[in-house]
Amino acid sequence: MSGLMELLSGDFLPRFLAGMVVNFEIAAIALVIGLALGLLLAAGRLSGGVAAAITVSIIALMRAAPTFVIMFFLLNAIPRDATLFGVPFALSGVMTVAVSLVPYSAAYVADAGVDSIRHLRAGATHGALLFFPNLTRAFLVLVMSSSVGAAIGVTEGITVILRQADQLPSFDDRLVLFAIGIVLFGIPLQLGFVVMSLFQRRFGRSTVEEEASA
Amino acid sequence: MPSVILSAAKDLMAAGMRSFAALRTTGAVLCVLVGAFSPVRAETPDAALAELLAQARAKVPAACTQPNVDRLIKILCAKKIRVGIRDYYPLFAERKGDKREGYEVDVARAIGRMLGVDVDFVRVNAATRIPLLAEDRIDLAIATMGHNTQRDGQARFIRPHYYRSETTVVGPRELPVASMLDLPGRTVCVTVGNGSNAELVSQGARLMLFDEAGVLPDRLKDQTCTLAAQDDSFFAKYFTDEDFNARFFQKFGFSQVPWGMAVARQGSAELARALDLISQVFHRDGLFIDIGRLHSIRLGFLRQQQEIWRTPECNTDAGTTNPKCILPPLNTALQPTSFAPDVTSLENWVEERTGIDLTLPMLKTAPAWSLFKDGVFYSLVLIAGALAATLAFALVLGAAMGSRSFVLRWPARLLTMALQSSPIVLTLVIAATVAHGLFALSTETVLGAAIAALGLANGSNAGQAIGEAMWSLRAEGVRAGLFGRALSRAATQIVAFLINAAKGTPIASFIGAPELLSSLTDITSFSSGRVTTYSILLIFYTAVVLVVVWLCGKLKQALEHRQAAA
Repeated sequence: MSGLMELLSGDFLPRFLAGMVVNFEIAAIALVIGLALGLLLAAGRLSGGVAAAITVSIIALMRAAPTFVIMFFLLNAIPRDATLFGVPFALSGVMTVAVSLVPYSAAYVADAGVDSIRHLRAGATHGALLFFPNLTRAFLVLVMSSSVGAAIGVTEGITVILRQADQLPSFDDRLVLFAIGIVLFGIPLQLGFVVMSLFQRRFGRSTVEEEASA
Repeated sequence: MPSVILSAAKDLMAAGMRSFAALRTTGAVLCVLVGAFSPVRAETPDAALAELLAQARAKVPAACTQPNVDRLIKILCAKKIRVGIRDYYPLFAERKGDKREGYEVDVARAIGRMLGVDVDFVRVNAATRIPLLAEDRIDLAIATMGHNTQRDGQARFIRPHYYRSETTVVGPRELPVASMLDLPGRTVCVTVGNGSNAELVSQGARLMLFDEAGVLPDRLKDQTCTLAAQDDSFFAKYFTDEDFNARFFQKFGFSQVPWGMAVARQGSAELARALDLISQVFHRDGLFIDIGRLHSIRLGFLRQQQEIWRTPECNTDAGTTNPKCILPPLNTALQPTSFAPDVTSLENWVEERTGIDLTLPMLKTAPAWSLFKDGVFYSLVLIAGALAATLAFALVLGAAMGSRSFVLRWPARLLTMALQSSPIVLTLVIAATVAHGLFALSTETVLGAAIAALGLANGSNAGQAIGEAMWSLRAEGVRAGLFGRALSRAATQIVAFLINAAKGTPIASFIGAPELLSSLTDITSFSSGRVTTYSILLIFYTAVVLVVVWLCGKLKQALEHRQAAA
């Protein structure tokens, strides 16, 4: 346990927090790109006809593609010296993880977007506003999923914990460190879920009232 | 301090020069003796070399205009030897402006002196060193080239070998790693295509792949990598840096590869024989050691070789063909599959018709095919196991969270909250750590840990939905068949987390589960075709998840039908 205490009294916490910032950064990038792409897909899905059928298939494929595999595909399929229109196109570690999360975020945004637009068309403004808590939920899921970056050397929160664990010879110390990691990840996550469910409950109630009055 | 080092370097160089001068004198004397007592067969390598060179020189200049003469004659005619050498391989061959230095550079110069010709250096790299020999643009390659069975058919390697490298595992000094036995569960940073990767994987190490070896020292320093494996000749330069040497240590070495000078297979028989004998003499007389010491490379192999070539059995003109004296090439030949020719035909057919460079390494060699089949099998086992575990944990935790008993409900809620707060990578690592603590490392242990982690992570969420459904049904006054109805009500969430479990299975490769991602990473570490390989991986997993989605859709329909019937 003394080994653990020594490590924790050092610069573990600042490094972990810096790592968590990377988790949030990855999630934000994935959500912004996913938002743009997802809204386009939502529009395509609501357009009807062949375009809608194609969009539904694309969304289904994006939903089915595992993030971890996409990440390794991007890492191995794009050459380090790749260029796009003469501009270097090689993805950094952070961007590789963020882009690999885009299919999930885009599919999620497309689904939530379709629901929102349907609510809007039905005149249920508050129901449409549920799009935002849903985005928050997606963001929190993306923060947690960004830990896959540990597999390709991105220095995010879990990577910091695993590196620290490698320095600990004791099995018990490692388990305690992992528990600390869960608590540190859990605090922002659970807070986020609480805020989101309060928001959702409030707008959910309003939506029921709106739909009843309509 | 620098002047001391410079002085030591000069002493070493002088020692090398003295060795060389002695060699030349010995060679000249032997040459005269051999000439005097000809045609008596030479018995020492020195005499054989002197005889060979004397015969070759006797043909100059008459043979200089003749076609198809041996390259040794051409070199003597041109009074220069063209040596293919690398531009940047620290300690072995470096170019700074017009100046070249390094172990291989000095070996080339020593050979030039033995032949009595100048040395013209020609830049080569890993891809060009053998083609340039075949195209007669260089006479000799001394370019950090490992001698293996595959290359044996492409160039004539000089025996004895002038160096031997090994893959060394480097990590922080304080890290308790001393052998392969300490690697299971640890991540080792390696470069794609390194022949020793397969051995690391077989010992239970996780691999983190990089394109270039040059990034490994920096990744060690910034702690991205805890351990890195690479050729010891690559790390040699970094260990001359005080700071690096103070922080890191070569934990152990494995997978030794002899390095060979090489000449063209055609038209170089006499040149190759001369170089064999020169290399033999250099080992016996310690010239390789002197040059190696001058450039701070590891001398263990060179010292071993000196011992060997000083023995009466090896110190003969036939020593370089005596299997007891020379080292065999590293056997890298992979057994092809019975259908490899058909696969190659398919690749060519696709390229001809579509222009797509399709490469299917997993189908062409027996080890890759075996890894591929195992990967598919274990992936399917993992997916089936993760689905079953998710369902089982969902039912158990759902029943507990929906229970009226505080003792059952709260532990289940706390466990769910902890699992929801733990990223899946961390959950998998915890499961693997616990499994390694309780059981011996095996494929089954890793698979079991991965299935448990994926099942718990997704089952807890699905269980929460079941628990909430039970409470909502109670609030509606439902008493009979409560659990069954709750399952029907939570069908959407159960199905969503079953799909999530299937999608999450490739992450199990992070803890060493031998599923398809791990297998294909191993295959690409010793073969080409990364784009095709990872495309196949993406298609495989997406297709499997789509099948799971379809099956889960059926399950959802069944559950909802039950609810409607109730």
